[in-house]
Amino acid sequence: MPNILNAVLVAGLLAAATSPLHAQKPPEAVDLSSFPAQSIDDVVVPVPSEVFIVLDKLGNPNWRSELRDSLGRQSGNRAQVALLLGTVIAEGFVAVEAEDSEKVKDIGRRVLTLSKAINVEKAVLERSKSITDKADVKDWIAVRKEFDGALHDVKAAMQELGDDDLAQLVSVGGWIRGTEVLTSIIRKNYTTDSAELLHQPALVNFFTKKLDNLSNKRLAEDDLVDRIRKLLAAIAPLIGDGEGDVIPSENVTRIHKMTRDTVAAIASKGA
Amino acid sequence: MKKTLSFLLALLIAASAWGYVDDAISFAYEAASPYVKKGFSVREDAWGGDLGVKDQQAVQAQLFKGNEYWFCLGTDVKGAVLSVNIYDSKGTLINVETTRAGRLSAVRVEPPRTGTYYAIVTVHKSPEERTGWALVYAYK
Repeated sequence: MPNILNAVLVAGLLAAATSPLHAQKPPEAVDLSSFPAQSIDDVVVPVPSEVFIVLDKLGNPNWRSELRDSLGRQSGNRAQVALLLGTVIAEGFVAVEAEDSEKVKDIGRRVLTLSKAINVEKAVLERSKSITDKADVKDWIAVRKEFDGALHDVKAAMQELGDDDLAQLVSVGGWIRGTEVLTSIIRKNYTTDSAELLHQPALVNFFTKKLDNLSNKRLAEDDLVDRIRKLLAAIAPLIGDGEGDVIPSENVTRIHKMTRDTVAAIASKGA
Repeated sequence: MKKTLSFLLALLIAASAWGYVDDAISFAYEAASPYVKKGFSVREDAWGGDLGVKDQQAVQAQLFKGNEYWFCLGTDVKGAVLSVNIYDSKGTLINVETTRAGRLSAVRVEPPRTGTYYAIVTVHKSPEERTGWALVYAYK
C-alpha cells in the first residue's frame, strides 16, 4: 500500500478514535431468526490464547505444569498428522503462556516437521523460523501471533491443495487440546465464571457439522475422526444450552477426562 | 460466499479479477492497526465477501467474557458506507464504542457472557452494485 495512503488512513483513524459513529444508529435489537441461513457465516475458530488470557485475568494458572513432556508421534495417517499438528500448535499457545522459550522453539520445529508430512511445509517455513527468533528474544506477543499465523497458513495451504477436510482436522485438534488445558485449569480452582468459558455451543456445532460432512471418504471413516465425532456429541450437552447456564464442576471434570484421553489417542496413534 | 481469509486468498489465486477482496482485507487490517498499539492481538483469520446496497451479512463469533474485542471492517469501494454491529444470541446490541473513517469502521465490545455473538455487516450506501467487505477482529 503506498505510503501516502497509509498516512491518510492513519490520520483518518486518529480522527475516528475521537469521533463516535453517529451516521447510522444501529437498532438496539434484531430478530436473528429473520436472517436467511446463507446470510449467516460460520464461526471463526478462536485460538487458544483468546480463552487463556481470560484465565490469566481470573487467576494465576501454572502454565508450565500444563505443558506436555511429549508432543506425540506421527504416523503415515494424514488424519492423525493433521489432528496432531492442531494439538502441537495449541501447545505453542500454552508454551507462550508459560513463557518457555525452549519449549516454544521445540514446538516451532515440530510444526515444521508435521507440515512437511502433509506437504504444506513451505507455508510455515518462515513462521517456524520467526517463532524461534522471537522466542529467543522473549517477544511473547509476537510468538503468539506467529502461532496464529502458522495455524492460518497451514490451513490456507491445505485449502489451496483442495484439502479442506484436512484443514478442518487441524482446527479440531487444536480446539481439543485447548479445551483439555482449559478444563485442567478450571477444575483446579473451579468458579462458575471460569467454567462459563466452556460455553461454546456454536463451535461444537460447527465442528460436528464439518466432521459429519467430510468429502474425503477415507478421512470420514477414519477411527480417530469417528472418535472425535463421539467426543463432540458427548461434550455438547455438558456445556450449557443457554447463555448464563451454570456449568457444574462435574461437567468440567468429565470434559477434561474426555479431551485428555482423545489428545492421548491422537498423540499415540503412531506408536 | 466464503468465510475465511484462507478461502478468500484461494479465490484470489483462482480469479485475480476479484481484486476487491484483497483491498477490503487490507483496509480491515488497517482499521485494526491502532488497537495493536493498545495491546490487542489481531487474528489472522477473517470473514469477507460482497454485498448489495442495503444487504446484510451476519457472521458468528465465539466470544469470551473477560476479553475486549475490536471488530474492524474494511471495504474496497470508495464512497461506500458500511457498518458492523455486534449482537448477542438473543439479538440484543452489545456495542460499547464505534468508530468510522472513510472505508474503515470498527466496533468495540466487552461480552457480558461467554457464548455466540453475531457481527452484522450492513452496506448502507455504495456507488457500486456489489461492495466488497472484509472483517477482522482483535482481542485482549
